[in-house]
Amino acid sequence: MSITRRHFIIGSTALGAGTSICAPFFVPKYHFDRRRRRSRVAVLHAQLYSQQLDQILREGLQLFPLDVRGKTVLLKPNLVDYLPGNAINTHPTLVMAAVEAFRRLGAKSVVVAEGPGLQRDTQLVLSQSGYQESLRDEEVRFVDLNRDELIRTPLRTSYSEMKELWLPRTVLAADFLVSMPKIKTHHWSGVTLSMKNMFGIVPGLRYGWPKNILHWKGIQQSILDLCATVPIHFVIADGIIAMEGNGPLSGTPRPLGRIVLADDPVAADATCARLMGFDPDRVTHIRVGARFLGNGAPGHIDQVGHPARLPTTPFRVVKEFENLYAL
Amino acid sequence: MVLSELSVELVRRRLPCGGWPVLLSSAQPALEPTCYSLLALGTQATDVRERAVVFLLRAQNPNGSWPVFAGDDHDGSWLTSLVAVALSDHVSAIPARLKGLHWLLSSAGRESNWIWKWKFRTTDRHVRFDPDKFGWPWFPNTVSWVVPTAFAILALNQLHCFCGGFELAPSRLERGVEMLIDRACPGGGWNAGNGVVYGTAVRPHPDDTAIALLALHDRPQHPIVQVALNYLEFTAPTLAAPWSLAWAILALAAHRRPITLLRRALLDVTDLSYVEDTSTLALVCLALDHEQALVNLGVMP
Repeated sequence: MSITRRHFIIGSTALGAGTSICAPFFVPKYHFDRRRRRSRVAVLHAQLYSQQLDQILREGLQLFPLDVRGKTVLLKPNLVDYLPGNAINTHPTLVMAAVEAFRRLGAKSVVVAEGPGLQRDTQLVLSQSGYQESLRDEEVRFVDLNRDELIRTPLRTSYSEMKELWLPRTVLAADFLVSMPKIKTHHWSGVTLSMKNMFGIVPGLRYGWPKNILHWKGIQQSILDLCATVPIHFVIADGIIAMEGNGPLSGTPRPLGRIVLADDPVAADATCARLMGFDPDRVTHIRVGARFLGNGAPGHIDQVGHPARLPTTPFRVVKEFENLYAL
Repeated sequence: MVLSELSVELVRRRLPCGGWPVLLSSAQPALEPTCYSLLALGTQATDVRERAVVFLLRAQNPNGSWPVFAGDDHDGSWLTSLVAVALSDHVSAIPARLKGLHWLLSSAGRESNWIWKWKFRTTDRHVRFDPDKFGWPWFPNTVSWVVPTAFAILALNQLHCFCGGFELAPSRLERGVEMLIDRACPGGGWNAGNGVVYGTAVRPHPDDTAIALLALHDRPQHPIVQVALNYLEFTAPTLAAPWSLAWAILALAAHRRPITLLRRALLDVTDLSYVEDTSTLALVCLALDHEQALVNLGVMP
């Protein structure tokens, strides 16, 4: 069979067009690998938000070779809004226990920082959710990330196709960032754990309440870009009273009785997903994050403390995320 | 602490460029605190206000919009409305203000486009709203939200005539008002954007409710406005945060509801001069001088 010049041109054009359309799906959108050889996750038992959390957390942190001496530690809780009786926010007792623990470990300073996603009046959320009093009593500095000074920051990956974001100076200047999520289901992203918690560093003043641009650019994609650009050094996830169902605001409190500590956000989120009864590989940002942001596979995670078993009854989710359930 | 002392503190926080930073610890001049401060200073500190006006004029984007802070990108933001309100009494700013309002008319929530309208009507129905009733976004290329829509209504309502390129303003204003009414929470008041998400009624926010009520000051008898006023009147005495309390005072005063106890509560907030957020401090000044503030916001004649 002979190939005419006409066929050759048509074929070449079709091949070129096909390659340019398909290539973006196959070319990795990251150019670095932050995965450590092995990650460590500790699952701790805690049934109540009580003073005993100080001790539980202190002992839990001793399971990790942490060196925060002389460092600026930034604790990033999940503080979205306040609804009486709902387990929306990371509990202030756990955050204060973390402040105390990192101070004891020799941190130069410990700051709590968050930019609530829906409520513009951060001080109102702080006072209603019990943070304000605790912060004042323990003399802890709080920075409203929705209103902090901003620095133009190029994104290190291109999942969302945003090239850059304006991010808060306080976050970028911190030596050691601790993501402290509430373990919850989320009606737009399936779960909200340590990686999704990073939406809170995106300033409302610049991007609105909620940070709508991240929704339009893709929630899973934006999570990956944020976590690639601003590394999470440690995770303390609040699963003492978690949330299931129509999270992140209108779900139902779900007593889980666990705190999850980890030196790797992907390992932390994969473990939390299992504790919720989900297959972490079915959560896009965990699955893709496990290629370069951290370890998702159990074989690369040293599990200390209590085992991360699937629950007898998995967390309820909205219909669109029923595919997350582990088989 | 009395109003005059707070005004002195406000002036003290000004940056050499003429603008104000958001947080006390910041040196980055931002538009929101500058606008509230300019409005709060009223007729005081003439030189300070003049420098603030110059700062705002210099910060305007080539397309007529205003950014969030000096040095920001040039796409434009919801602050265009607030700047237009803040500059409404300044003759030297008339051309810039009109250019800003023209930009505002060209800006709309993404659901105003037929493709997105279709999407929200057919495949994406988890958030209950009517996409035909659209307003303004926080930033270009996103959907409409309550606060930016309310500020755009306040700004466009200050136009003296709907001529000279503003012929579309009445219909945009009407749509904006319809959007606010459509997106009220079922129990009264407003949240950030919608009243029902995934079949669940969301809880109103005092500040979002107050700002929407200011925009709807000329429709006091509308049932949605009445229910929102009742919610705000009930909630305001429980508020310990100066930002929400100040907005509540302004909105309730605009609708002629009693505010004496709320003003007292605002004055009782522990040492206001230590409030780190300058926008909040300026807003407190506005609430304590609510009659003048409502004139400056274009809510009262």
